[in-house]
Amino acid sequence: MGKRYDVAIIGTGPAGVSAAITATVRNKSVLLLGSASVSDKVSKAHMIQNYPGLPDIPGQELAQHFLDHLKKMEIPITDRKVTMIYAMGDYFSLQIDQEFVEASAVILAIGVSFGKPFPGEDENLGRGVSYCATCDAALYRGKEAVVVGYAPKEEADVRFLAEMAQKVTYIPVYKKEDAAAMAPELFPDRPNVEVKQVKPLGIEKRDGRMVLATDGGEISADGIFLLRESVSPGKLVPGLELDGNHVKVDRKMATNLPGLFAAGDITGTPYQYVKSAGEGNVAALSAVSWIDSLKK
Amino acid sequence: MSVKKIDSPEFQDAIKSGVSVVDFNATWCGPCKMLAPVLESLSEEMAGKAAFYAMDVDDNPDIAQQFGIASIPYVAVFKDGQKVDEQVGFVPQPQLKAFVERNL
Ligand SMILES: Cc1cc2nc3c(=O)[nH]c(=O)nc-3n(C[C@H](O)[C@H](O)[C@H](O)COP(=O)(O)OP(=O)(O)OC[C@H]3O[C@@H](n4cnc5c(N)ncnc54)[C@H](O)[C@@H]3O)c2cc1C
Repeated sequence: MGKRYDVAIIGTGPAGVSAAITATVRNKSVLLLGSASVSDKVSKAHMIQNYPGLPDIPGQELAQHFLDHLKKMEIPITDRKVTMIYAMGDYFSLQIDQEFVEASAVILAIGVSFGKPFPGEDENLGRGVSYCATCDAALYRGKEAVVVGYAPKEEADVRFLAEMAQKVTYIPVYKKEDAAAMAPELFPDRPNVEVKQVKPLGIEKRDGRMVLATDGGEISADGIFLLRESVSPGKLVPGLELDGNHVKVDRKMATNLPGLFAAGDITGTPYQYVKSAGEGNVAALSAVSWIDSLKK
Repeated sequence: MSVKKIDSPEFQDAIKSGVSVVDFNATWCGPCKMLAPVLESLSEEMAGKAAFYAMDVDDNPDIAQQFGIASIPYVAVFKDGQKVDEQVGFVPQPQLKAFVERNL
């Protein structure tokens, strides 16, 4: 992944797929990141009646058409989650786990599946609440931390944190299908990790300690790590201007960060396939102009 | 001007007069790695207005403790030895510049 792509497109719903197709038609190098099965919001829709040219199509079939179209144009889907996007000035750096990839332009087409933050989460972010265990572990040497993990892969971060912290309380809040993978004894080799099956409700700072309220009582520690599957756009892209829960864009789908465009549900209602695909097209054309202006 | 790496023995002396911007980081923190070139470029742009320093929290846990740093990258602005503002996490250069400028 050493080279710099012309455009990185994040999301494989109708917005991202449409953007990838147009950017490819315009001869730009594309990195398309998302899900190998396109988007749950497409594949799980029962029957779609308002997609032009494809009357009464089950979501599963539309998803297959998307995959076929990408395949025909030789656009691979990279099935990875982007954890952070950094605006570096004349390029962007995308963090994918511990790897970094560069692109001249970015199209954000991540949909709106992120949940609401916990009460007290935003106020304490960076002041006791963290989203990155590998970033902040060093600050927890000899201290106590609570980790809320939304997927089994976060267990690796818990192990890492437990090497430094004196005590780690781990709260797995997995999806039903992942819960089966959860062994009763998750960390037999880490006696300082305690696993608690509770539901987090809110966060508060009290006497310099962080307190996590749960349905099983309060847990207090020096810090709380929230390791989520998807994060809101403002946290995914530091410095990005929002409009409520959505990304603020103009008619060219440009955001406040030069070279970064957004398309689909993430830019606001109505939440519709064709609107998303249309915005993906506009965003791709705007990205093409941006890339061409850089090369002048 | 560029960003000067310092350790705790030099810290007090470094921030003692004028405006100093200190970037607290660690070698294994992704966002810190991304912020480093932004600070480097800003230190050139703001040469003569503020002095830029970088401190590794792994090597200097005492200072990290003193300022109650809970997340990195953590950028603090000092005016004549007093901390006047802080910024946690990565920020693009224009926003970082605005942050330093409002503390000049
Ligand atoms: C049950 C149901 C039925 C619907 N029926 C209709 C209908 O009949 N007609 C209609 O017009 N609309 C319908 N909608 C609305 C439609 O689903 C959405 O408007 C549309 O899917 C939005 O497309 P999008 O590309 O913006 O985002 P999405 O389809 O939500 O896709 C988001 C993509 O981003 C990826 N992603 C997110 N975060 C990251 C990350 N950090 N890194 C990498 N990838 C990431 C996801 O994996 C996904 O691929 C329906 C929705 C549902 C739920």
